[in-house]
Amino acid sequence: MENITIKGNKEGIVVYINSSNFDEVKNELFEKINKAKDFFSGSKLIIRDNNKYLDEEKYNLLKELLINNFNIQVIDTKNSSTKKRLPSLYDQSEVRTKFIRNIIRSGQLIKYNGNIVIIGDVNCGAEVIASGSIIILGVLRGIAHAGFNGNRKSYVAAYKLEPSQLRIANLIARAPDNYKQPSDIPEIAIIKQGGIVVEPYLPNKYF
Amino acid sequence: MGIGIVITSGKGGVGKTTTTANLGTGLALLGKKVVVLDADTGLRNLDLHLGLENRIVYNLVDVIEGTCKLKQALIKDKRLDNLYLLPTAQIKDKTCVTQEQMQELVESLKNDFDFVLIDCPAGIEGGFENAVAGADMALIVTTPEVSAVRDADRIIGKLESKGIDDHRLIVNRINYDMTKKGEMLNIDDMTDILAIKLIGIVPEDEKIVVSTNRGEPAILDENSKAGQAFKNISRRILGEEVPYMELNDDNEGFLNKLKKIFFKN
Repeated sequence: MENITIKGNKEGIVVYINSSNFDEVKNELFEKINKAKDFFSGSKLIIRDNNKYLDEEKYNLLKELLINNFNIQVIDTKNSSTKKRLPSLYDQSEVRTKFIRNIIRSGQLIKYNGNIVIIGDVNCGAEVIASGSIIILGVLRGIAHAGFNGNRKSYVAAYKLEPSQLRIANLIARAPDNYKQPSDIPEIAIIKQGGIVVEPYLPNKYF
Repeated sequence: MGIGIVITSGKGGVGKTTTTANLGTGLALLGKKVVVLDADTGLRNLDLHLGLENRIVYNLVDVIEGTCKLKQALIKDKRLDNLYLLPTAQIKDKTCVTQEQMQELVESLKNDFDFVLIDCPAGIEGGFENAVAGADMALIVTTPEVSAVRDADRIIGKLESKGIDDHRLIVNRINYDMTKKGEMLNIDDMTDILAIKLIGIVPEDEKIVVSTNRGEPAILDENSKAGQAFKNISRRILGEEVPYMELNDDNEGFLNKLKKIFFKN
């Protein structure tokens, strides 16, 4: 069981490879990630393979598996000096993004492991589920669920935010009964102080 | 042990879902513990009629697939404490559920509730088969049109072949003036053709559209004629004898009524 070692240091989370058996390395890594899924999901890892146990092909395969299964990004540090620190802006926005240019109608489900950008409306009865954030260039009338595997930093933004229900990570919110005040400006829903909060989107605020 | 009642029609758009929402509310108003169950997977509407759409997290398909417990999927009505909704999934279709699963579900609901009202989808295919699977009784909704009556007839035949012999007829959207002029089928014609017992007549009422759009069943509106009719049907379901309401005097207005009194001849 000592095929890998996971350590955290000032570079971030580092996985050290101690074995050349790819399957064992993979299984042990997945097992460890599965134990703390919320912690790892949407995060970034650095893979250290000082003894060159894995060749380029295996390394890339592992990278691919991590992003597909857990939405974990692997940062290449192989030949860089590693001293360069990434700006915090890239925390979650650097995962994969799906772009859809269509109206999502009642009964349709869009689920994606990454961010979703929809150019069009999301109608009542439709669901959009993403492990990252959801941006809708149109009206959101259906259900949007951002960060479905526990990413509390994800958000939902739309030109018109009139969802029947909003979900971020494990939180659920709905508009109060008799609420009839659609706003004319774009809005963004985020988690603040343990609850989902909808705020007007002000261009200066998020940069 | 409660009773499972399926509300069905064969034809679409005759008012099954409106009837389900109103009778569910009506029975709850009479103090019964009621659950209304939407069996129209993929085209659910019952939640809209009750104004509960934004409360749905889990649904019937989740319960059947074991994603959640039955209790988690039940939504309490926002007006009445003894009315619950079990919504279905919108992003699935009717093949997700089998008759046996549906029957099991309705049976377990019957343990906790006095009435389980099942809103049946239009048609006679799988969705219909599922909806009637757990029912003890059927309410057949029809409108005074030949097409709706013919479909109702087909449905009654289907129900009888399934052993559901306890069925009653609801004639929806009766327009008294048109019936009087002979432009619409009248009640006697329909009971003649269908040969089943009548349980209620619901007059055509523009307020129904408003109440559906608002998500408030018409039965809660004191002034709605249709609401009054649904109230009567609810009481008849409980076994009360309720006289049928007069349908003819609504559109006359006060002046005409006065004229009638003075110029009787």
